[in-house]
Amino acid sequence: MSGGLDKLVDDIVRESRTRAEEIRKDGLAQVEDRIAGARAEATREADQITRNLRTECEAVVNRRVSQEKQKARLAYLAEKNRILSDVMKDVQARLLEFCRNDSSYRPFLLKSIAQGIDAIPSDRVKVALSEKDIRRYKGTKLLTDALSTMDTTKTAVLSELPLETTGGAVVASEDDKVRVDCTLEARLELTKPQLLAEISKILFPS
Amino acid sequence: MNKIVEAEKEGRQILDQTSKEISELKRDVPNRIASMRQDILQKATKRRESALADAEKTGAEEAKRISLESKKQLDSISRIPSAKRRQAVDRAIELLLS
Repeated sequence: MSGGLDKLVDDIVRESRTRAEEIRKDGLAQVEDRIAGARAEATREADQITRNLRTECEAVVNRRVSQEKQKARLAYLAEKNRILSDVMKDVQARLLEFCRNDSSYRPFLLKSIAQGIDAIPSDRVKVALSEKDIRRYKGTKLLTDALSTMDTTKTAVLSELPLETTGGAVVASEDDKVRVDCTLEARLELTKPQLLAEISKILFPS
Repeated sequence: MNKIVEAEKEGRQILDQTSKEISELKRDVPNRIASMRQDILQKATKRRESALADAEKTGAEEAKRISLESKKQLDSISRIPSAKRRQAVDRAIELLLS
């Protein structure tokens, strides 16, 4: 009788232990599942943070490099412009010398006047010179010489009004409706892009 | 009879104790998840910051190299021989007066 009771008591306790073990297993499995799910989600978010990292890093390097290249390019262009501007000043200084030398300047002036007269569609034209040239050539055969270089019946008179110019002439029709600017400044302005290109070709060959 | 009651009582205690342990484990899950999540994201953020800092460094080194090259280039174009400069002025005058 006592042996049967002991067995019953043991069975009750064993059953409880077995049930407790099942509860523990289930509970632990649930806990592990939740943790694994959360780990997977956190890992996905971490991957998202580092996913475009290579592109971001390349962008950081490229930004610094292109900023510096742009800076270098601007500095190079500024220096080049400074040098070109200095050379253009030398050109202007050389033009002043050229205008002081009568043997080279007079033929140039004659040619400029002739070009101006030729371009004016009028029989009578006025030729304007700088104050210095008026003083230098008034009473000389400057206009006659200019006309003699052309096959023309046009007549030219010297304007009393002086020009603000280093050299050259402005030729106008008698009524002042048509003007042809043959001054050195006008030539300089007109040929500046070509001059700068030529100077650059010599100074900065690439 | 008493022994059976005692055994049932012990069995209930075992089950209660287990349920309590599991409840405590479950209660702690949000904290464990938060800590693990913070750890994973912090590591990723650190990795990103470190890579970006390295990229900044690489960019700065490359920029320095470009800057030095640029200085050399500027020095070289600033030292134009006077003969070349004269040649450029001569060519400009020739074009201008032609």
